[in-house]
Amino acid sequence: MTLILRARFFPPLRCGTDGEDPVMSPEKITVRMTVNGKAYVRDVEPRYLLADFLRHELYLTGTHIGCEHGVCGACTVLINGKTGRSCLQFAVALDGAEITTVEGIAGDGPLHPVQEAFHQAHALQCGYCTPGFLLTTIEFLGQNPDPDRDEIRQALTNNMCRCTGYLNIIDAVEDAAGRLRAKGGEA
Amino acid sequence: MREIEDFTLIGKTVLRREDSYLLRGKAQFLDDLPEPKNLIHIAFVTSPYARADILSIDAAAALALPGVIGVLTGKDLVDDIKTFAPVIELDGYREVRRPVVAVDRVNFVGETVAIILAETPYVAQDALDLVEVDYDPLPSVAEINEALKPEAPVLHQHLGDNLIFKSGFETDAFDARFAEGDVVLEEEFRTGRVTGAMIEPRGCMAWPDPIATNITLWTPTQIPHIVRTAIADHLDIPESVLRVVTPAVGGGFGTKAHVYPDELIVVALARRYGRAVKWVQDRREDLLTNAHARDHILKLKVAVKNDGTICAAYLDVKTNCGAYPNHPYSPTLEATAAVRMMPGPYKIRNYKYDVCSVTTNTAPTGAYRGTGQPSAFLAIEGMMDRIGRRLGIDPAEVRRRNTVRPEDFPYVNVIGVRYDTGSYLPSLERGLEIIGYDAFRKAQPADRMVDGKYRGIGICNYTEVSGTGAPGWRVRGFAKMPGFDSSRVVVEPDGKITVYVSQADAGQGHYTTFAQLAADRLGARWEDVTVIEGDTSKTPYGTGTFASRGSVVGGGTVIRCSEKVGAKVRHIAGYMLNRDPDRFILRDSRVHDRDDPDTSLSLREIAETAYSMNNLGMPQGEEHGLEATDYYDPPMVTMANGTHVVQVAIDPEDGRVQIERYAVVHDCGRVINPKIVEGQVHGATAQGIGEALMEEIVYDTRCRISKRPASTQSAASRARPRVG
Repeated sequence: MTLILRARFFPPLRCGTDGEDPVMSPEKITVRMTVNGKAYVRDVEPRYLLADFLRHELYLTGTHIGCEHGVCGACTVLINGKTGRSCLQFAVALDGAEITTVEGIAGDGPLHPVQEAFHQAHALQCGYCTPGFLLTTIEFLGQNPDPDRDEIRQALTNNMCRCTGYLNIIDAVEDAAGRLRAKGGEA
Repeated sequence: MREIEDFTLIGKTVLRREDSYLLRGKAQFLDDLPEPKNLIHIAFVTSPYARADILSIDAAAALALPGVIGVLTGKDLVDDIKTFAPVIELDGYREVRRPVVAVDRVNFVGETVAIILAETPYVAQDALDLVEVDYDPLPSVAEINEALKPEAPVLHQHLGDNLIFKSGFETDAFDARFAEGDVVLEEEFRTGRVTGAMIEPRGCMAWPDPIATNITLWTPTQIPHIVRTAIADHLDIPESVLRVVTPAVGGGFGTKAHVYPDELIVVALARRYGRAVKWVQDRREDLLTNAHARDHILKLKVAVKNDGTICAAYLDVKTNCGAYPNHPYSPTLEATAAVRMMPGPYKIRNYKYDVCSVTTNTAPTGAYRGTGQPSAFLAIEGMMDRIGRRLGIDPAEVRRRNTVRPEDFPYVNVIGVRYDTGSYLPSLERGLEIIGYDAFRKAQPADRMVDGKYRGIGICNYTEVSGTGAPGWRVRGFAKMPGFDSSRVVVEPDGKITVYVSQADAGQGHYTTFAQLAADRLGARWEDVTVIEGDTSKTPYGTGTFASRGSVVGGGTVIRCSEKVGAKVRHIAGYMLNRDPDRFILRDSRVHDRDDPDTSLSLREIAETAYSMNNLGMPQGEEHGLEATDYYDPPMVTMANGTHVVQVAIDPEDGRVQIERYAVVHDCGRVINPKIVEGQVHGATAQGIGEALMEEIVYDTRCRISKRPASTQSAASRARPRVG
């Protein structure tokens, strides 16, 4: 066996894990949030971002962080039914909110019509931006069940994808609209 | 007659299996992976200066912050990590090594000067501003021509100047051939600096076992095996104790096909402290430090006959290396790609080039979509239009007259690259037909003004190097670039199939397409095939997924390997049924006797024999197990080609460009999965439009990025490619 860890001189690490939770500041605030239909209570720092709260407190890692300044749209979630950037919101400011993330769209059941349309149209490649597109699309088609392609383009302006060139995403949203109308507009 | 029914799956759109977890948010990208306990989060203190001496670093305030467990500087790491450099064996290349954390001197904005080790990412970020670094700023240079001036600051003293690479080539009697032209045209072309800007920034996590003997590095890379070799080399550890795994990768585009200093750092720190170490990049670091690309100056001079045919071409290319050579390619990657690929689909028989790469106080440049090729084609295609204008010949016709013709194949181009086949003229004609070229030209007024806008059509023909094998890399000096890729195909005891491939998917759909190939060649059900890649402990060695090599080399090895296993399947079936193996065809995960439709065996039954799960024994001379390993090294390169024809309108008031129609004819050879290929073409075209019209990283006179790349192209932006 090769022992790789070598005893040698280097700056010693501080014992950061000793004592009472030295990392977080003492001013934690209790947040209650309903995420994907499930109630959660957590104590977090006031500056903790909603995206980090979802990802690292609730382990809902489907919400992705792309730019951390509200440009790319990968972190889009539904906050009380409306799309919002989870990288621009503090978790503590959303006490009592209802959040839907990508994990909540279909759960473990059959794909939601929007997800199915993305699958059929090959509207995702690496898939990193996809959760944001799905939630943006669900909100949009709830407001505009029968959009034309220009309206779809406008609706997707705030989400970026670097892989697909958008054409298949536009196809998918168009197809999803048809699927949802056929189902009776249930989003 | 073939032993397998021809192409039951190849060429069919099979919907992607990776969608099932990506659409549900269940994919595991780097920052989604479960974190080990006692994890150290690191963050990098970066230089705000483009060139400066580091006088002192005071970390006391950072260390006093609760949750900060250490601050390391470059000096602390010099014994752990060798200075970092690619291995390039090419005349004219001069080696430049860099410390992975700057020691005395920084050479670009964003270069790491210290590392924060902390209990949480938030604390690590807090501590960044508490590290006081005393710099002595020095004169800096960002632009190629400025860096070549005698008075320019020299980045790497041992070079004496800023030329890191210089090379040239010229065919016999070039000057005499050049003199035979009726007309000489010359033009300078420049390409802006861009970067991949994947929606997922980079990051990595090294996770040692409890006694820090074996370390697993999770990193979203396109080249896991090359990363492992580079880390073992620079940390002086055996490769066998290091495992490199790629989680789901949120886009690569070449930017993630490099070995980066942070990958060496997290492994070194994990070894040191016996704890897992994680770093996640933010967008600012992505734009400041991930490999940039392009930033080329190309001067093209051609001698042309009066009929528009090129007698001879001289290309002078200067590329911006950035502050240090990228790993593993060095700046020779873009430089040699540009000069080697410029002849493209055109019959240029007399050719001379000079090429150099120049170090500047900017982020290192490296691989990105096509490397030097788009720059080269910008130059030659721009020249085709200029030839047409000078001689009064339609630009499409100028291209026709210079193109390698169908009867010329196999064609060896002027630098010795063999084009076995290609559809250069048919692709051009098809592109012109889709866009309605002749009718457009006929109706086009002399001043190009239609309905208040200038309207015109641009044409670009191109060849595209794909599937570069070892000879193709060696000829360009890449001494440590394997060139081959490999696979291991296993029929498991239950008759299901596992395919291990040396590549690493970044969204291209390998888990679907490689399963198509294996299923097709093994006559198996697609659902029965599992593809595993991006893990050096599971897959045999290989080069990785970049430079348009995935399907050619990765797919090639899967085909070859599956056929090897298929031969063994038939051999064992022949033994079990006491019949000639050549009688069998493979279909639906069964072996059928083609002359006796009632007789068949399932793959499972054959596997049970192979794994000694019955009393049949094995045929004489055949080993147990039902698998094969294959290493596929393609000869030189394979050459794809295509044509883009675009109709644009330019607003004379504000110069805005509106793409009105866009035709792509891309010949990638045999299509494995049409929908996936279509998606690749859409995405590449959109990035190309972005590069042409919207994106650019601009350094100001103090070598700071003054303009962020407009990777903000969205579905509703003015550029709306419609691909036909």
